[in-house]
Amino acid sequence: MTAIEDVSTEAGVDVVGHVPGEGDMWFFVVFESLVFTSYFCVYLYYRAQHEHAFLKAQSALNLPLGIVETILLLTSSWAIARCVQEVRAARYRSAQRFVLATVGLGVAFLGCKLAEWVRLIGEGHTFTSSEFMQHFFFLTGMHAIHLLIGFVVLGVILYQLAPQRRSHQTIETCSTYWHTVDLFWVLIFALLYIVR
Amino acid sequence: METSAKKRLLVAWVVVVAITVIYLWIDRSADDRRVLVGSVAVTVAAIGLALVKFRIILREFMDVRHAPRALCVLTDLLVVVIAVALLSAYFVGRAVT
Repeated sequence: MTAIEDVSTEAGVDVVGHVPGEGDMWFFVVFESLVFTSYFCVYLYYRAQHEHAFLKAQSALNLPLGIVETILLLTSSWAIARCVQEVRAARYRSAQRFVLATVGLGVAFLGCKLAEWVRLIGEGHTFTSSEFMQHFFFLTGMHAIHLLIGFVVLGVILYQLAPQRRSHQTIETCSTYWHTVDLFWVLIFALLYIVR
Repeated sequence: METSAKKRLLVAWVVVVAITVIYLWIDRSADDRRVLVGSVAVTVAAIGLALVKFRIILREFMDVRHAPRALCVLTDLLVVVIAVALLSAYFVGRAVT
């Protein structure tokens, strides 16, 4: 941990001048953001060119469900951020509860996503049915893969919370990954469900 | 200090959830009797609000606000690059139709 100045009154909750997690993870955040942005640009370009076809296919999506999914993921991000605060305050049992809450919220998100995929496929909207659906299934599928990796990362946090380990830097690195999954979803949700 | 950090995180969560719910209102007001209608204003608003949430997650949840200046500048630059790239792709796509 590279803390320069600890400004907390109790066991280091706020740390100033400190890179959260390892620098390599931040390289990953920027790199992945740019990769996703490149794909978003291709999507928006073709969307603007074939507006009516995209709008027609987009009307099959369930916006309220998309909003519930987004709130689930945002809440999971809040929970893992609280976990990091608890770790810094050396309250490891409480931190463990926040990780388990994050896992539960992530599973709920994935359940909603699977239900949406099943409904869409049942209605005849598949990867090849339209250009919009091709982008929809690709982007939500790629995001789901990142989310599944996130569950492994949450497992690493739980492992690190064991008394003989407790590497704050590893826990911060893993939480940064989980937030990145949330970052991508915020953009994917706006581009697939809201953009007109 | 600790309580204020918890409270600040909770406020950040309330703000990002509120922005998400605003989307529902944008969606309802933009369409014509449940038929989706193309709209530049909705597209720009959707991208803008998503990037506001993106920055709040970076600053508050990912704790970038306490990070060294270089990381703060890098992440802000990332938000600007994404905004410019997305809006450019959309408007170029419209222009060459």
